[in-house]
Amino acid sequence: MRGATSAPRSLGWLLLPALLVLALFLGSVALLLFHAFWNKDGFSLIYFRQILDRADYHDVFLRTVSIAAIVAVAAAVLAYPIAWLLWRLPRWRNLLLVIVLVPWLVSLVVRTYGWLVILGPKGFLNETLKWAGVIQSPLPLIFNDLGVVIGLTHVLMPFSVIATLSVLLQIDNRLEEASESLGAGGFETWRRVVLPLSLPGVFTGLGITFLTSMGAIVTPILLGGIRQKMAGTQIYQEVVYNFNMSKASAWAICLLLLSGLGLALLRVVEAALVPKADR
Amino acid sequence: MNAPILRLGRAASFALLLFLPLPIVVIGATSFAAAGYLRFPPGELSLRWYVEAATDPRWIEAFVTSLGIAAVVSVLVTAIAFAGAYACHRLRPRWLPAFELAVMSPLFFPHAALGVALVNVLAMAGYLGTATGIVIAHIVCTLPFAWRPIVVALQRIDGEIVEAASLLGADERHIALGIALPLARSGLVTALLFSFIISFDEVTITMFLTGPQVTTLPVQIYAFIQENASPVLAAISTATVVVTLVVVMLLERLIGLEFFVAHDPA
Repeated sequence: MRGATSAPRSLGWLLLPALLVLALFLGSVALLLFHAFWNKDGFSLIYFRQILDRADYHDVFLRTVSIAAIVAVAAAVLAYPIAWLLWRLPRWRNLLLVIVLVPWLVSLVVRTYGWLVILGPKGFLNETLKWAGVIQSPLPLIFNDLGVVIGLTHVLMPFSVIATLSVLLQIDNRLEEASESLGAGGFETWRRVVLPLSLPGVFTGLGITFLTSMGAIVTPILLGGIRQKMAGTQIYQEVVYNFNMSKASAWAICLLLLSGLGLALLRVVEAALVPKADR
Repeated sequence: MNAPILRLGRAASFALLLFLPLPIVVIGATSFAAAGYLRFPPGELSLRWYVEAATDPRWIEAFVTSLGIAAVVSVLVTAIAFAGAYACHRLRPRWLPAFELAVMSPLFFPHAALGVALVNVLAMAGYLGTATGIVIAHIVCTLPFAWRPIVVALQRIDGEIVEAASLLGADERHIALGIALPLARSGLVTALLFSFIISFDEVTITMFLTGPQVTTLPVQIYAFIQENASPVLAAISTATVVVTLVVVMLLERLIGLEFFVAHDPA
């Protein structure tokens, strides 16, 4: 409905509520910076220095980044066939989409609780394996990094499915037909035509899942236990139990920087892998 | 063509797809198990955990609070997004790309960082631990999700209709509320339902903001898992799944689900 009659400038007032929300968000980011660098003694870098100095804090950030990277890749790899399936079955797509969307939209605390019920020491999987005589003592599937990776990967997979599928749906059917009429088999066509064209969606998914894993709190606490800290769980602890807003803010800024760095790196990899015309 | 490989690939993909609802299905099954845990072979069935949940005022209160917050958030954020997106659409300001990037910017924040940022600002305003504070935070987080479908819907409106209305003497108020609003209703309904479900199920940011006065259902589920993983949790969780399922079905019936996988035409 562009270019109807010239719209009166007074319409600008309608932007006010959105601007207020935006101002609130930007204000909260400004306060985050303020708290991170200023405490009651004035300007201070104490919490940044602490992060740089303490080996146990290095471990927390290293674990956060590694888990986020592993989860992002695992979610992308496991989600790809699902996206492919939905793409290939247009008649069933709506129903199958519900199977993807409902788990995605159900609260992540509920999905994490589900994994607790399945993977716990007295969980469904361990009890079933014991009943079947496969194991004598329960397998340690949660309260360690493995549990966090399983939980986060599952929680974030729908993001990757949706990101990949939305790019697959853009692909011109004729490209596939051309490839097959030139003698390429189904797999060959996928590898040489469909996969390269769908990579931008895979990378979008990688970005979203990496970012979300970096800031995760609930799944790491419930499936990783209290000792396996990630940056998000440390931040939560500083805010809710230690009331140390300065430290939490400094950590949040480091988390933001690392996430930004990760996303920038991902862009570089994408630029190297994906031919320009597809981006 | 290599049909067996294709068939195998399809079967494996389908197995992966069924992996997605697995934890939800397990919780649903647990909620009906009289013993309170799931085992193989299954034991006796019962509704006792649902009865227990429905007679505990703490769960009723959290459930009502979450529904209330989600309702208020979805209506407010949809109104804010429609007003803003409509103004942008008509005025086409030069700074529109920068403004839209700013609207989307909360999406680029890891939730833990967003949580701390919002605690800072809500504590300063005195809204920490109140329902108002949670509503404000949820509006900030859901605005990007409400904005996009409304912008898409507005772009689909035929400009000639607006022109015709204008020539026939319709004033700006009538063009906005009598023409653009009903024609953009697919975007409005999507924004409304999408932000409702995000608000209803949000936990990571909300758990920074709850207090002794007010808590939401997902945050209370989280707290109870940490204290004692009673089977009542399975019944409560199943109830939240039902709410989510109802909203997704509504969306499917009213608008269709293509929105989620459609590329931005803009």
